[in-house]
Amino acid sequence: MLCIMHKSVENPEHWLANHGDYLYRYAMSRLRNEELSADMVQEALLAAWKGWKNFAGKSSVRTWLVGILKHKIIDHIRKEIRDRKLADAVESDPTSAWFDADGKWLEAPRAWKENPEELCESEQFQKTLQGCISKLPEKQQIIFQMRELIGEDTDTICKEADITSTHLHVLIHRARLALRTCLEHHWFGGSR
Amino acid sequence: MKHFCQKASQLASDAFERNLTFWERLKLRLHLSICGMCRHYADNLKLLNKILFGMHHQQKDDDICLSDEDRKRIETALKQSTTHSEH
Repeated sequence: MLCIMHKSVENPEHWLANHGDYLYRYAMSRLRNEELSADMVQEALLAAWKGWKNFAGKSSVRTWLVGILKHKIIDHIRKEIRDRKLADAVESDPTSAWFDADGKWLEAPRAWKENPEELCESEQFQKTLQGCISKLPEKQQIIFQMRELIGEDTDTICKEADITSTHLHVLIHRARLALRTCLEHHWFGGSR
Repeated sequence: MKHFCQKASQLASDAFERNLTFWERLKLRLHLSICGMCRHYADNLKLLNKILFGMHHQQKDDDICLSDEDRKRIETALKQSTTHSEH
């Protein structure tokens, strides 16, 4: 199999065991989809196996693997944007669902009086949040899946994805409007 | 448009994505100072971002793991790739 193995370099056969879960969590925190995240981990490890000679040992194995995973995720996002024509969604999908003809709120946003740290740790809330995200129109779901990555890598993503950052911002805005409303109905605003 | 709320909601969201221009910031601030609904909206977004950002760092959560199924699947795929590229 793989021949020359420096003592300091981790055996690639152990990558899955040593780093698989960590990579999976990284993907999950951004994609929030189990199947997709496992696919991304698989693709990243396959790419790493093929390209391990390029690993110069400048960083830790884990850091290197995460870098590969991140690029796989970005490529996936770019493809989703292109395949689902998210750039076109901008023209045809107004935010009028939330505002009247005069530009005023149809449903007044309320104050949310909860603590973000507590919410992050609440399993109940996580379930509710996941539920709300999964109820979003498909195009908006993707935006939420990508949001963290978009923040870090907007330019990288927009390049070759046929979408401008302005369009991305509009899609994020709409996704936020929808998600916020859903959360207010199902968590913050009490039952409705 | 009689009310600025629709526009303000877009600006409030954009504020998390890019630097607003001087005039955008001014208009948004003025509007938030007189509109409770938009103030709540802007606060909701802040909380929402904090929550999502918090989940971002939940990669420390040891309960999230590859399923045994996925692990086997990946193992198989990795093995197959090496048998095809034997040097």
